[in-house]
Amino acid sequence: MSSLFDYDKNREAASAAKVRALEALLIKKGVLGSDSVDAVLSHFETVAGPFNGARIVARAWLDSEYKRRLLEDTPKAIAELQFPGMTGAEGEHMKAVANSETVHNLIICTLCSCYPWPVLGLPPYWYKDPVFRSRGVREPRAVLREFGVPISADKEVKVWDSSAQIRWFVIPERPANSEHLNEEQLAALVTPEAMMGVALVPPPQAT
Amino acid sequence: MAEWEKRIFGIHTVMMAESTHLDKALPKYPLSQVPTSFKDTWTWASLRTGAESMQPFEYFKYRYYEKWLMGISQFFVDRGYVTAKELATLTEHYRANPDAPLPERPNPALKEQVVRYLHHGDSGLRAPVAPVRFAVGDTVYVADPEAADHTRLPGFLRNKKGTVTEVYPGAFEYFVSTGPDSLAGPQHVYCVSFDASDIWGADKSEPNTVIYADLFDAYLKPPH
Repeated sequence: MSSLFDYDKNREAASAAKVRALEALLIKKGVLGSDSVDAVLSHFETVAGPFNGARIVARAWLDSEYKRRLLEDTPKAIAELQFPGMTGAEGEHMKAVANSETVHNLIICTLCSCYPWPVLGLPPYWYKDPVFRSRGVREPRAVLREFGVPISADKEVKVWDSSAQIRWFVIPERPANSEHLNEEQLAALVTPEAMMGVALVPPPQAT
Repeated sequence: MAEWEKRIFGIHTVMMAESTHLDKALPKYPLSQVPTSFKDTWTWASLRTGAESMQPFEYFKYRYYEKWLMGISQFFVDRGYVTAKELATLTEHYRANPDAPLPERPNPALKEQVVRYLHHGDSGLRAPVAPVRFAVGDTVYVADPEAADHTRLPGFLRNKKGTVTEVYPGAFEYFVSTGPDSLAGPQHVYCVSFDASDIWGADKSEPNTVIYADLFDAYLKPPH
């Protein structure tokens, strides 16, 4: 049974052709419309994505009362901002946790790839990789160091495994020298990786 | 994400948006008015069960979306929506003609349902049917249920000692029963913290590190 060890000589082309054939057949059979898949993809370009999370984080940095509400009742505080779709698919129950001088948070899904779609969009490939999923809980400090985020031993590391209904995300620490920035400029500094806890938000470039 | 990965992700998400169980979902989707020939239940549990019950070598052999593509194609063949032969024939056609177009048959009412689903989701929140068994601060042990095709219990937590840090309001029902793994009907969910040293051993773990997991009631037991 050598086929167990074989791959198609051109895996990417094979998968691409198979997906296209499947979508074409499902359109023909009435399972999908030719506009159905595009409706999903356009949602993740315009409605759900890390641009929402970045604005929520920027607001929390500027308004400590908002940050308190966000940590206490995440969906309610997010609703204040009136972004569309914030309790939608994979965001029905979200919770924010905050990095600080004493705590660093990391989000993970050791079982599969649960992720807060409305605020972060879709997870990157490595988030779903079995190696990240196992090492992230076995040796999170080593993994964070490899991501370029060394955490000193006196700082607590909290790892949040999204194993039931909650989808976690991180409010990173506000960078130094950002006092003069407005909400939009602050949001532009916030990356999805920072809201997963695998990156820090760098100080703004000096102008 | 490669272009084809986006397409299979999209197909899966449309299937979730037109799954027959959604007429009973919290947002009360008008599913009977959605024109589709899809007449099955399709949730995250369908995809996860497929992946978790794969031949273990193949699980590691294939990339994430390759597994999705295999599982979803097989589902449509098994349920009689398409035949393996027509899928193989059309795959050959698109392999030889990668730019050949898809059929043009928009379905505006289905598109509306997809957008509704993306905006309102499918929460498992239900009214509790049993009393809360644990309170914040309680020491709990993680159960070790029989291995099944699918679970929401991270394996590394089996038999470990933790502390309840939050009791989520209401109860939550997972998409499917997991049989001997013990998810069925609405259950309370607890956030439980574990010292890394209690999971991996004092001399084998990193210092000052806490793992939090959200665990269904059936996965927890009181201290002996």
